[in-house]
Amino acid sequence: MEQSAKSTVLLREIKRHRSVYLLLIIPLTYYIIFKYVPIFNGQIAFKDYMALDGVLGSKWVGLEHFRTFMHSYYFIELLRNTLMYSFGKLVFSLPLAILLSIAIYESTHPRLSKIVQTLAYLPHFLSWVIMYGILLALLAPGDGIVNDVIKAFGGKSVDFLTSTKAFPWIVILSDAWKEMGWSAIIFIAALMGIDPSLFEAALVEGANSWQRVRYITLPSIKPVIVIVVLLRLGTILDAGFNQIFMLYSTPVLSVGDIIDTWVYRQGLLEFQFGLATAVGLFKGAIGMALILTSNRLVKRFGGSALF
Amino acid sequence: MKKQRVLLIALVAMLSLVALPVFSQGSKDTAAATGPVTIELWYGAAVTEAGPPPADWVGFDIIKEKLNIDLKLTALPSNESDQDVKIQAAAAANNLPDLFMVRRDVLGRLVGQGLVASVDDLYAKMPVRTATHYDSVSQSHARFNGKSYGLADPGSINKNEGLLIRKDWLDNLGLSVPTTLDELMTVMHAFTYNDPDGNGKNDTYGYGAFQEVNNYEAWPGRRLEPLFGAFGVDGTWSMRAEDPGLMVLKSEFYDAMTFLKKMVDDGVMDPNWLAYKKDDFRAAWKQGRFGVMREQNAAFAAESNYAPFDKNFPNGEWIIVDAPVGPNGHASIGPYTASFRIYAISAKAEKAGKKDKIAELLEWMASDEGYYLLGWGVEGVNYTLDKNGVPVADGVANRDLAFSGPVGQTVTQLRNMVFYNGDIELLARYPKYTTATSKKEMSALDVLRVMQTKDWTAAVGSDTLPIANADLKRFYEQGLSEFITGKRVLNKANWDKWIEEFKKLGGQSWNDAGVAFAKENSLLI
Repeated sequence: MEQSAKSTVLLREIKRHRSVYLLLIIPLTYYIIFKYVPIFNGQIAFKDYMALDGVLGSKWVGLEHFRTFMHSYYFIELLRNTLMYSFGKLVFSLPLAILLSIAIYESTHPRLSKIVQTLAYLPHFLSWVIMYGILLALLAPGDGIVNDVIKAFGGKSVDFLTSTKAFPWIVILSDAWKEMGWSAIIFIAALMGIDPSLFEAALVEGANSWQRVRYITLPSIKPVIVIVVLLRLGTILDAGFNQIFMLYSTPVLSVGDIIDTWVYRQGLLEFQFGLATAVGLFKGAIGMALILTSNRLVKRFGGSALF
Repeated sequence: MKKQRVLLIALVAMLSLVALPVFSQGSKDTAAATGPVTIELWYGAAVTEAGPPPADWVGFDIIKEKLNIDLKLTALPSNESDQDVKIQAAAAANNLPDLFMVRRDVLGRLVGQGLVASVDDLYAKMPVRTATHYDSVSQSHARFNGKSYGLADPGSINKNEGLLIRKDWLDNLGLSVPTTLDELMTVMHAFTYNDPDGNGKNDTYGYGAFQEVNNYEAWPGRRLEPLFGAFGVDGTWSMRAEDPGLMVLKSEFYDAMTFLKKMVDDGVMDPNWLAYKKDDFRAAWKQGRFGVMREQNAAFAAESNYAPFDKNFPNGEWIIVDAPVGPNGHASIGPYTASFRIYAISAKAEKAGKKDKIAELLEWMASDEGYYLLGWGVEGVNYTLDKNGVPVADGVANRDLAFSGPVGQTVTQLRNMVFYNGDIELLARYPKYTTATSKKEMSALDVLRVMQTKDWTAAVGSDTLPIANADLKRFYEQGLSEFITGKRVLNKANWDKWIEEFKKLGGQSWNDAGVAFAKENSLLI
């Protein structure tokens, strides 16, 4: 009886908000087709996939693909590079995005903040192919603008794009440059939600800008920062294939090769789709474990967790 | 209420669009049973910057009318890796097109999966095409386990690259054309440090290159082969019967590496060479950055390619020189092999009974009608014939429609399927012209003929030898580049240690497999 009443209420609620539920159909369809249905094909990670035999007809090979990946000559290096770029981007890009959003929010010149915001967004819309062209113009050892400046001050030109020391910094900083503006959007939105009376009270109490940021702004957007970090942990083994694929070259493979570029060469180019899927599963499992662990830790220490 | 209804209809329409491809798959086969036979062709575009043949291209109608074939065209990506990914992704879904261009390595994997049909029976069904396109070397090029799985059409012309040097820079500095490696080094030093263009700036380099590697021209690749050729170690493989195997395992390879390292350390190599992509390299020589390079005949001398250099340097002049002679008398521009473009037929198409229809289509392409239509377009619209019967763009009313014009190029996108490097093609492709600024008479064909007279290393079949797995390939390329960039110190002890590690990682097995394959297929000379 109680169950039926609950169902009636639910149906009534759905009917009442039907336009919202209708809108939900599009993303839901997307997720079902492109995210849930392919999970079925994930079984080829454990199979010797033969296209003619199909997913179900291919032979089971157990954990062979996982072993191949883990016994790869470069496994440790691939893992190290991937984590280096993921954490590097997290450590550099996130604070920069937060700083940018606070700077835009705190600016007393709305026109200037709009210009800065637009300029900061702009690189996000450029592909990495175009970004590579820009970076080459800036950093080429022969006639790059940066090296021209270094040489003008009597320095020696640096092979930024082909030096193993400089390359990781180029990857991390160019990503920060490209994505900082876009990543700042979510923080700007969070800042907009802060109660203005808090700032007014702080002004009355004589707080300076730094104190306002420290005691009002940052604590207010802390939940958003935590959620963004948690979500980023879920994709920690995605270090940015498009970017690195465009930027890396033979001399910097030791610091530039990441799991995804290896999968591209070994899995996709060599027709080893089982292996590529196995690595995808491996990455997914690590990402999920990290999200669950960090979510639990955040909860334990009283923070705002994802779920 | 009305608004919600509109929203609902829009959503249903969108979802129907999503579902459309699923249903369209089924209807295609039904149509094939009654109407013309649909043949889906994934082709390699002749001009990658131009678009595909337009929907109203006359060729579609002729093919439908004469052959009862509804030809569906899809251009493959211009980049080889992207091509491979597209084909392999389709193969993984058992959704290969009926006829498609494919690289030999990928074809081998598809054969292993049973996804392509054997074509041995088709040669006899295409007598005209077989006579011009498929000689015995071609027929064996795509052979796996004793069967031919690909129709190997003649590809790029052999020996179509050369070592070029800035003659005007040599004259400015009072230098003569270098003939040995030592003389070349002296010239490269002068080009780098003695202001060869006289602009008062230290902005030139001796040698320009970029990393361009393939199966038979391993790292550092094609652009540096004339230097490695001077040590007798150009190319990935030695195809010499007395000394077969991987070049990197020969002791002279170390000497060649030492020479390259010296070029880099002395600053005579354009320092951007490791960062350049092909277009950057080509822009660089047109901007006068370096004075020695290996370049392809048309990339150097075709009208549109030479024009920027001609405009920037009206007094500039590149000449084709002999390969420099090394310490032991070796000289070579690089290895050459018989180059092919392979077209394969999917097993799915064979199962659908389309194989004979495909043969019919290819044979028609080799007829006069198909050859001229696909090669140059429609006479009077896209080309005219000169007094020697060679198609030319002159005399075409609308220059945009000429086969070399922006619109005309779209209707000749399939020309690589009909061309076989015959005289008519070469004369049409590389006409003589006068440069706009310096008024020089140029011809990419004349350049080609000179390039072909230089010393080259015969390595026919070396592009069919086994390839290294991804990890070994990385070890090879990364190790060599680290010796050159200085991350590893290049001395004999380090080199020997690296070679040992390379062998242990699979280099020795790769070498042995390659030699065995070459012997088995009588490729050694």
